[in-house]
Formats: sequence, structure tokens, C-alpha cells
Amino acid sequence: MSVLEYVANGLVFSSIIVLASIGLSLVYSIADFANFAHGDTMTVGAYGTLVTFGFVGGLGGTVLGLPYGFFVALVAGIVVAAVVAVVTQRLVYEPLDIGSIGLLITSIGVAFVYRALVRLGFGADPREYAVELQRPIEALLPYGIRMTVHDVAIVGSAALLVTGLHLLLQYTDLGRKMRAMADNPDLARVSGIRTGRIRIWTWLIGAGLAGAGGGFLGLYNNVGPRMGFDILLVVFAAVILGGIGSVYGAMLGGLLIGMIDQMTPILGDVGIPIGTEYSYAIAFVIMVAVLLVRPNGIAGEAGS
Amino acid sequence: MGLLDGYTRAERGVVGFVVLLMLLLTYGLVTGGLGPTYFLYLIGLVGMYVLLSFGLNAQWGYTGLINFSVAAFFGIGAYGTALLSADSSPIAGDMLPVVGLFVGLLVAAIVAVVIGIPTLRLRTDYLAIASLGLAEVIRILVQNQRDYTNGSAGLRGIPGFFEGWPVLETFPQAMPTLIVERLVVTIPFVAEFGLFGFRLGPGFWQGLLNVSLVLVFVGVTYAMLRRVHRSPWGRVLRTIRADEDLAEALGKNTYAFKMQSFVLGSVIMALAGVFYAHLNLYVSPGDFEPINTFYVWIAVILGGSGSNRGAMFGGFVVIAIREGTRFLGDLLPAAFPTLGVPFTDLVVSFPALVENTYATVVSNFASTRLLAVGLIIILVMRFRPEGVLPPQRELIWPAATEGSDPGSEPGARAVSTDGSGANRGGETNE
Repeated sequence: MSVLEYVANGLVFSSIIVLASIGLSLVYSIADFANFAHGDTMTVGAYGTLVTFGFVGGLGGTVLGLPYGFFVALVAGIVVAAVVAVVTQRLVYEPLDIGSIGLLITSIGVAFVYRALVRLGFGADPREYAVELQRPIEALLPYGIRMTVHDVAIVGSAALLVTGLHLLLQYTDLGRKMRAMADNPDLARVSGIRTGRIRIWTWLIGAGLAGAGGGFLGLYNNVGPRMGFDILLVVFAAVILGGIGSVYGAMLGGLLIGMIDQMTPILGDVGIPIGTEYSYAIAFVIMVAVLLVRPNGIAGEAGS
Repeated sequence: MGLLDGYTRAERGVVGFVVLLMLLLTYGLVTGGLGPTYFLYLIGLVGMYVLLSFGLNAQWGYTGLINFSVAAFFGIGAYGTALLSADSSPIAGDMLPVVGLFVGLLVAAIVAVVIGIPTLRLRTDYLAIASLGLAEVIRILVQNQRDYTNGSAGLRGIPGFFEGWPVLETFPQAMPTLIVERLVVTIPFVAEFGLFGFRLGPGFWQGLLNVSLVLVFVGVTYAMLRRVHRSPWGRVLRTIRADEDLAEALGKNTYAFKMQSFVLGSVIMALAGVFYAHLNLYVSPGDFEPINTFYVWIAVILGGSGSNRGAMFGGFVVIAIREGTRFLGDLLPAAFPTLGVPFTDLVVSFPALVENTYATVVSNFASTRLLAVGLIIILVMRFRPEGVLPPQRELIWPAATEGSDPGSEPGARAVSTDGSGANRGGETNE
């Protein structure tokens, strides 16, 4: 396999990790705890997409090998993940008064509840969206890149969502308030920002992006109850690499971790006998190394 | 209430729960629904969880280290002894389990230092994520290094712990097989039910040995931890948990204390793993799954962080969840019980939903168990974040209650009768 192909694969996987890590980072910065239920929020989004796609599958024509119905289903998955997260925030996290470690442990319980309910509703077996499998794009084959149009759709949609978030953060009132609150919640509150409302918006956006990441992860692999939990630590690695609480850092971290993950086979090509089964392990080791050298990540503020 | 005077409401509740559980188990034993050998196996598992909770308690309860790599150290203990003693072991094999015990604990201590060096300086939530990540690295290694660990096939042919011991090795075979005949009791016109009806063969005697072994492990660990917790060393740990900056300001090297606590806890977890390997006689990479870490966390949080009595209670509850749901799955009818009334006679629209939900929940007990575990975590954190049996007497230095009204602090009084506690009460650290 050529290096170009690894880059292409990395780009696709990165797109999914970036979506997930932005959400995790947003919630980390505003709700102020490491949300271990974030991976399972992705699972919820994937199943939301799966179910909706069952109803609207045949809708309209196709774009990039995916029927219009898939994108409708994806939006539904995003909404489901966002609503579930906000309901959880209202029912579970908000009434708690126990500090960030207590919230962290509670979120593990929330993760189990999500996963158990998904398994009770849909069984433990992996499933696939009813979309036609695509052959690699012919035009790219001469360059040694095997990429399907579905992969292109994942990268394109993720780019669209990330750009949308960027515009939201930089050019809207809501975005400015969110950034203010991430910087300094107390100052934001005394400046007249209704922090409760911003917090809900943050959960909506963060979980929605996780839902999108889950929907794409289902298209990339398949849909199963453990899909989100299995990828959670990789997402944490990306967030920590980028710098916790920094949205743009999360984008960069997600891109790097996704790339590194898909580049693992290169190690084998250059004679280091580490197989792809260790790609996640490499990501975790990088995460710990970053914590050691630069606990605030590459985009985080220096010093603590 | 005579017997339970001097106990808090929570303690009475816990006693009630344990007694109820014991009654249920006895009922199962007497009616033959629960084999005595399996019963002993369950007790062994409870002991194992108590050990694991003790280990986590030494880290989280005492020092406030949020360690999410419990399963890794448990697995290291289990694999350490299994790789040395199992006949299917790819590296050594057929060595004495006692050698496996010491090697397992030693390896766990070394790995704890190796993991502790980079992670123990981290902020608490970073420590959680990093330790979970490193635990996963260990799991991936065990799963993929087939030449050394047998990979996903796991290790079979692990001997019992007492192999190679003078008398105990042959004890199960030497004991006679007792046969308890099945009795059929008939109460005229009311009921007819069976009682007993089991054989107590070598498996039973082996189980008895295992239970004795875990009781020794638990007893020794408990005594040691209690002593350690009350020592000046333990007080520094509690200070670190409460306020790390304060401990630093007092001139304590908090990093060293954290490391000692981390290694101590990890070795206790590995001890639980060693016991498990010789109880279960089979280990697999599944023992390293993060869910096992979270079971131990439930035991500690539910019991009360920092309280070893709480850890014991938590161990009971975890086994009740894990094994009880299995039983419930077999016991409950697969369809929604309608008490003989056909559904069409009831409200028409709602039973279908109830019936389906019921059938799903009953037939998927693995998922239901996960749901129960998740709900318990959420509910405990919501309504009783300090746990059911938070540390009380554990935190009182024995000398402090000396001479006060006898009987008010039975737990604390028991250990300070020699009067030497007063000397040790001062700040005589190191």
C-alpha cells in the first residue's frame, strides 16, 4: 500500500474522530468534567440514524453513493443524540452537587445505561445501513488510493459540519457567548450571559456532533452497541493531544490521532514489527506522553 | 433492637441486606436449587471482589487516586500465576502455584511503578483517562502476543492453589464423598416439596479449601490495611486526599506517598487475580476488560470510599448483581405473567408493549445487568455519594476515644486496649 493511501484512510478516520472530539472538548470546557458517556452518545446517534434510515431509506436520488434518505436519517441521528444528551443533563448531571470527579463517575453509569438500552432495543449483533457497497473510485486507483465515494461523503460532510461550527463560534452571538463561557464561566455570568442556556446549547451541539460522528462511524465500520465505547479512548487521546477545552485543538488532535492510527502499517513497512492491532495502543501511549510533556495539549495554554 | 444498638441506620440496613441474602442462599441450599459446590464458588468470588475493593480503597479511598486500571492489575495477577503453573502455558508452566503467587505480585508491583511514574503527577481526571488507556494497552498486548500469552484462547489447565502442598494437595480426594439423600416432605393437602439431595465430592472439598484460602487473604489484607490506615503513613494519605497542597506545605513528598499507595493497592488487586486464576482454573483476555474495573468501582463507591467495611459490603452487592441476575433470568417466566387472565380481557393497547419489554428484559440478562449497574452508579452518586457505609470509626484515632463513654465506640475501643495508642497518636511520622 502506498503512503498516499494511508493518508486517504487517515483522512476518513480523522473526520469521524474530529467530529467526536470537538463535542467532547466542548462539553469538557463548559460542563467541566470528562464525559465518559460521550462514546455511547455516538452509539445513540448511530442507532438513531439506523432506525430513521429504515423508514426513509428510499427517499429521492443519490449523492456520492448515498440516497438522500441517508442524510435525512443522519440529521435524525444528530437530533436524537442531542436530545438524549440534554435530557440526561437535565435529569442526571444538573441535580448533582459533587464536583468533577463525581460527575465523571456518574457519566460512566450514564454510558452503561445508554449501551444497555441500545442492546435491549436492538440486540448485541452488529448491523449495517442498507446502502449499496461501493467499489473504490477508479480515477484514484492509479495513484494507489483505494477510496470509495462513501469515504468522500464522510470527509465532505465532516468538513461541512466543522466549517459550520467554526462560523457559529466566530460570527454568531451564541458562539461568542460559548467562547466567553469556556474561557471564564464566572466572568461570563456577571457579564449578563445566561450561562444555563449556553450550557444547554453546548450539550446540544457537542452531542449532536457526536451523533454525526456515530452515524459516519456506522457507515465506516458497522453499527453495534459497543462501537462508541470502543472508540472513546481514541477520542480522549485526540482531545488531550489538542488541548482539553480547545475546539480548534480538538480538530487538530482528531486529525493527528486519526492519521497516526491509520499510519500504523508504515511501521511494519519500515521494519518495526508492530501490527495494526496495536494502532489504538499507539494512540493511548501518545496520549500519556502528551500529558507528561505538555499537560495542556498542543493548542492549550502553557502552564497550569 | 437490642442487638443492633450503637449502629447507624445505614449499618442496620446493610446488616439486614446481608442477612436477607444469606437467608435466600440458605433457602437455595436447603431446597437443592443451589449446589453447595457452586455456593462455595460464589463465596470465593465475593472474597475476590472484597480483595479488589480493598486494593482500590487503598488508592482511591485513602489517597484519592482515581485509578481506572483495576482490571489490568487483576489480570496481571491472574496471568502471572497462570503462565507459570498452567500446563498449557506457552512460556513456563507446571511450576508451583506459590511461585506463581509471588511472581504475580512482583510483576504487578513493577508494572504499578512503571504506570505510576508517568501518571501519578497528573491531575485527577487526567489520571483516570491515562490509567484506563494504559490498562487497554496491557489488554491489547495480552490479546495479541500469542507466543507469550496464548492470545485470545486464554490459558487452561491451571492447577488448584494447593498443588504441591504436603497435606492440602490431596485433601479433596482424601475426604469421603458424602451423599445427602433427597427428602420429599409432604404437608397433607397443602404442598409437596423436595429438600437437599446433593453429593459432597472432591469438588466440594476443593471449594472449601478455596474459601479458606480467600478468607485468609481477606483477613490478612484487612488487618494490614487497618493498621496501615491508622499509622502516620495512612494519615498522610488522608491528608493528600483531602488537600494535596496542604500535604505539600507540611513538607510531605506527596508523589512518593501516592506511589506507595498505588503500588500497595495494585499488589492487592493482583492478589485477587492470583486467587481467581486458581479458583476459576481458566483465564482469558476478557479478564482485562474495562467493565471489570467499573464493577470494582461500584463496590467501593457503593460501600463508601475509604471504608473497608464498605468495601466488603460492596463486594457482596457486586456478586449479588452479577450472579443474581443470572439466576433471575432462569427463574422468571419468559412471558409476562398474566395470572391466568388472557390478555384480550385486559386493557388492549398497553399489554403488548409491557409484554414485549418484559420479554426483552428477561431474555437479555447481560444487557439488563449492564442497565442495573449503570442505574446503581447514577443513583448512588445522586442520593448517597459518600456511599452506604462511609468511613466513621476508621477515621478516629483509637486514643482519641480512650476514656470516653465505653460502649459508644465499640469498633475503636477494641484496638486500643494496650494503651500504647496514645504514644503513637503524636506526629511521629517517619
